[in-house]
Amino acid sequence: MITVQGIGKQYRLGGAAGIDPRDSLMNNIRAVLRGRGKPFWAIRNIDFTVNEGEVFGVIGRNGAGKSTLLKVLSRITVPTEGRFVIEGRLSSLLEVGTGFHPDLSGRDNVYLNGTILGMRRAEVKAKFDEIVEFSGVARFIDTPVKRYSSGQKVRLAFAVAAHLEPEVLIIDEVLAVGDMEFQRKSMSKMKDVALSGRTVIFVSHNMGAVNGLCHRCLLLDQGGVEMIGHTSDVTRRYLERSAAAGSSRKDVSQHPHQRDDQARLLYLRWVDADRNTIDEARVTQRFGLEIVHEVRTSDVRPHPVVLICNANGDQIFTTTPGLDSALNYAPGTHTTTVWFPPDLLNVGTIYATVGLVTWLPHQPHQSLENIMSIEVLDDTGSPTFPLANQRLDGIIRPNLRWEVNDQPVE
Amino acid sequence: MRIEVDAKRWRWLPDLREFYAYRDLFLVLAYRDLQVRYAQTVLGIVWAVVQPCATLVVMTLVFGRAVGVDTSGIPYPLFAITGISAWTYFAFVMKESGGSLIASQEMVRKVYFPRLLVPVSKSAVGITDLVVALAVMVVLFFHYGMAPEPHIVLALFYLFGIMISALGVGIWVSALTIRYRDLQHVVPFAIQLGLFLTPVAYTAGAVTGNLPGWMQAVYFLNPMAGLIEGYRWCLLGVGDPGGWCWLSFVSSAVLLLSSFVYFRKMERVVADLL
Repeated sequence: MITVQGIGKQYRLGGAAGIDPRDSLMNNIRAVLRGRGKPFWAIRNIDFTVNEGEVFGVIGRNGAGKSTLLKVLSRITVPTEGRFVIEGRLSSLLEVGTGFHPDLSGRDNVYLNGTILGMRRAEVKAKFDEIVEFSGVARFIDTPVKRYSSGQKVRLAFAVAAHLEPEVLIIDEVLAVGDMEFQRKSMSKMKDVALSGRTVIFVSHNMGAVNGLCHRCLLLDQGGVEMIGHTSDVTRRYLERSAAAGSSRKDVSQHPHQRDDQARLLYLRWVDADRNTIDEARVTQRFGLEIVHEVRTSDVRPHPVVLICNANGDQIFTTTPGLDSALNYAPGTHTTTVWFPPDLLNVGTIYATVGLVTWLPHQPHQSLENIMSIEVLDDTGSPTFPLANQRLDGIIRPNLRWEVNDQPVE
Repeated sequence: MRIEVDAKRWRWLPDLREFYAYRDLFLVLAYRDLQVRYAQTVLGIVWAVVQPCATLVVMTLVFGRAVGVDTSGIPYPLFAITGISAWTYFAFVMKESGGSLIASQEMVRKVYFPRLLVPVSKSAVGITDLVVALAVMVVLFFHYGMAPEPHIVLALFYLFGIMISALGVGIWVSALTIRYRDLQHVVPFAIQLGLFLTPVAYTAGAVTGNLPGWMQAVYFLNPMAGLIEGYRWCLLGVGDPGGWCWLSFVSSAVLLLSSFVYFRKMERVVADLL
């Protein structure tokens, strides 16, 4: 049982001490005298209760206050106002492998990590064999963790977390880790935990996981409670809102990165099929990048070029209308939209580098690296991967046609 | 178990019951530090013996031979090891506890546990060095065929005081460094100066002998001044633990209690500041 009453957390902008060595001495003295930066509320007036045995989701866009709420409820930081009560033994998992020390063996790290997560030594000892077996790194358990591959490390870390036995569990979606095989294993384990009558708060970005797992949800928006209710209602509202959110177009006309004066980019924005501005897209949604640019002389034909990368920095593809002779960028201002088909980009943050190039003769005018980003969210959900972030391995995520031919094999 | 957090109410002192509930983490953290310290070193635990011995040799050369500190007939190495054993512990805790909260910021940002465990576990780690130094001292007693003074039992009392003051300073520094990172640069400097301002290589009387009373009092505000002087008196019977020495006890106690309160205050915001 969790009761949260009027929780608020205030931060100050610009760091606590307010001293910046790059700034002048006088400005620093003033900053110290003034006290600290401008206060702002990361979350405020949060009220909700979670019943015993309930799986409760917390969703919201980036910056809505999800992680602040998570930190307050995990007691990592204290609230500025309000109170909350948690009945039962609490574990919170914001990451796996907290406190892992590279110089220590896998064995020692299991004890270290387990006790950090609030287990008694005797408990770790009792579950030790089970943990090691689950992790699949039994052979290396007495090797220092720094010699592990990152996959092995994550698996060992997850194995410890999976064997916690709290009555109340607060988890962040980051727990979908490791390779596919291990993910499946860990997700079914997490699902067991969630369904075994524990009280769970699940903070997520991923509608599929939330839909598959949570009874009720809280939608956060700009630090406040936007809606609490049945999961399906709340996730629907969330997706509607993110489509309607009117974040404005990005003005890049003053961007210093300019090679010549013949052409420049003016504005950029992500749009949905109805040309509403968006900052999140769903995997199954068609969305576009609208590019406004200005051509100043008739000597060149500057075409927009877009390079798409993912959060790992993998270059996914480059696209340009340059090979289409129907486009003729004469002097003046042009608005071009490049459309991304549904089921192409994988879940995650996508970055676009936008440039202007005249192809014949080849002349680059401008290139703004990773100037635009958009969050591609999953909305398909799947009962076999309720918690798995639906992060199917791969750079792209096409929806291919599968055909079954059930004819007897000769 | 029931967790209640209320922004309006907060306690001045650390929650000792909670601290006790996390005793296993305390042990595991201390054990980790010991293991990590000598991981991948060739001589391993031998370093714990080499360090105090080297200090002892250098100090004997400089203060025993070159300067010729008056030790009332006690062989200088024996005189010095008493001071070194206590000072090394103090310096270790001041440095390690002091930097501990910053060093474990990854943990502090991701999971809750009583933060006080971090500096306190470092002070436990320092005890190993202390024990090694004490063993060297025992060897020296045998070597010179000397017996400790009968009031050696009192030395435990002084040792306890030394731990209290080291912990107090360590907790203060660990909490202060969160807000004022500059302190990281001050600590090694303070340890260096402290070695000379504390009667480690000489008796307190050699410095305070003909100073006016108030200056003696200031000298003994340094918690380690009176404690080391008294500690050595218990073991070797040299020096004078009277006079203003009691001030060191007062400042130790004040340091520890105030460090709890200040740490408690910083604990609430530590994750926001790191």
